[in-house]
Amino acid sequence: MDGPQRHRILMVSDFFYPNFGGVESHIYYLSQCLIKLGHKVVITTHAYGNRSGVRYMTGGLKVYYIPWRPFLMQNTLPTFYGTLPIIRTILIRERISVVHGHQAFSTLCHEALMHARTLGYKAVFTDHSLYRFADVGSIHMNKVLQFTLADIDQAICVSHTSKENTVLRSGIDPEKVFVIPNAVDTAMFTPAPKRLCYDEIVIVVISRLVYRKGADLLVEVIPEVCQLNPNVRFVIGGDGLKRVRLEEMREKYSLQDRVEMLGAVPHAQVRSVLVSGHIFLNSSLTEAFCIAILEAASCGLLTVSTRVGGVPEVLPDDMIVLAEPTPVDMIRAIKEAIEMLPNINPQAMHDRVKKLYSWHDVAKRTEVVYDRALLCSDVSLLQRLPRYLKCGPWAGKLFCLVMMINFLLWQLLQFWQPSKSIEEVPDILILENEDKEICGKLRMP
Amino acid sequence: MSCLLFHNDKDKYRYSHHNGDSTCKGIDVHEIFMAKSRVRLLLSHIGILVCLVNCYISLVKDKLCSSSIWKITVILLFAKFVQYKPVKKESIVILPEFGVQLETHYWSGQIARRFVPGGKILRPVLNDCVTPFTCYWSLALILRGEDQLMLVFQELKPPLKLLVPIWKALRSSFDVKEGSST
Repeated sequence: MDGPQRHRILMVSDFFYPNFGGVESHIYYLSQCLIKLGHKVVITTHAYGNRSGVRYMTGGLKVYYIPWRPFLMQNTLPTFYGTLPIIRTILIRERISVVHGHQAFSTLCHEALMHARTLGYKAVFTDHSLYRFADVGSIHMNKVLQFTLADIDQAICVSHTSKENTVLRSGIDPEKVFVIPNAVDTAMFTPAPKRLCYDEIVIVVISRLVYRKGADLLVEVIPEVCQLNPNVRFVIGGDGLKRVRLEEMREKYSLQDRVEMLGAVPHAQVRSVLVSGHIFLNSSLTEAFCIAILEAASCGLLTVSTRVGGVPEVLPDDMIVLAEPTPVDMIRAIKEAIEMLPNINPQAMHDRVKKLYSWHDVAKRTEVVYDRALLCSDVSLLQRLPRYLKCGPWAGKLFCLVMMINFLLWQLLQFWQPSKSIEEVPDILILENEDKEICGKLRMP
Repeated sequence: MSCLLFHNDKDKYRYSHHNGDSTCKGIDVHEIFMAKSRVRLLLSHIGILVCLVNCYISLVKDKLCSSSIWKITVILLFAKFVQYKPVKKESIVILPEFGVQLETHYWSGQIARRFVPGGKILRPVLNDCVTPFTCYWSLALILRGEDQLMLVFQELKPPLKLLVPIWKALRSSFDVKEGSST
């Protein structure tokens, strides 16, 4: 009987370490778990300042920081064909079998998936966020997504709501889209060793203080809650444009001793802030998944959140109190949560989250997606072009033209630098020797 | 004297290894030869000819003024850019305990030599280099007290298969600690 198929995966995104965020940590944790399952993972992203070239992370995870400077919001300058030579070189030298792009907002991801399809590799895309339909920026973004997903092998979304959003925006066949929720590192997010007393209720908020994350709702809700409940205190971590409004609210209602503003909290310190509280408040106006409430639940906090996007899918009903994104309903939900508090057992909550979510489970499910992608048949350029024509009367023809030019440039590159002249890279095996020292061994192809 | 010849697929690079005869025991010489690219040489000559013609036209037809001097400067810079100085071979002579001599031989007969004392070499490394358009391997020396790596092969970019035996030879001659990586 054949063993499980070992894949060689190229993860591509503009968003990776040293930048920090949900997409970055998703890619990292998923890659580490895939390596543990025996697959080879290589990550490609753009250079961050002086960090350019090849780097190795834990477990032999190889990262290519391509020296293309970001130009807008961490994204590489979109040149359509500029990244073809380097992506082709990486695909050949690392003997990649599947290309996995992350995040619809990443230009490098879209370009890499386009080149991967031209070169005949299997392509998988993961969408991490919800996007709108009506404004100019979203219309353009959705058109680009339509282009990428017209010829994708499989797609992954982080919640069912996100799947619905992606399918509507891009017109992809829903049967090609898998739903694999994010997970949380429960070993890092553990409850406080000693249970907090309930004399003073601490409500924790950790998020970017921007419109999208509902900072304006907080400005309405906090003074009201402080007035109704004299024993409630707020701890707000995070920074952003709306921080000024929150500071003004503190001044206006004289809440300096009841509302503590921590500023930007490094991720390594998030857990210590969370365990100082009883309730976690999330006021986002849109969320595809919301890892933050999962982190809070793993630390044993009861969550109060707006009922938006994929949030209702994340936690069971006894761990979260949902509210409409209006101040009145949120105040009602906070009151309900305060009443529920004595019945909450943080350690039991942590153990439940540990059973429900793990990155190893996410990796195993992603492995199934890769297996399915590799079963998709290889198609020639002529068979692929009609898929783009469905994107629209004008857009379809434009996309076909883009792919034909990409194909011609690839043929030119094959002539200029044949595939045989690109050397394959030896794999680095990470081994532990007798003295428990980690060492590397080169395995030539 | 033992000599190992190694060709890669395109016959562009040729590797040769001399392990020292009875008179010079212990001296290890690794050479990498590169075939001259006739096409590139022809294009380089054409480019320089075009630049000279443009210079002549600027000098003779236009009066010598600031704009013509500026034009000539640009033309000369372009000529420098298209200039092709073909490399015949690059070699590394390993003298154990003593040091290494790095040589670049050009087809014009010019030879550039650099000597690195053995005590200055901390470790030879194989680097995976990334440019905006391609990736290649390079063999470099980490030197004590220096921020920059010293490339063993300054002009050529030989494939990894040719660099590995040279790297192993350097490691066996100069590496301080054995066993941390193979």
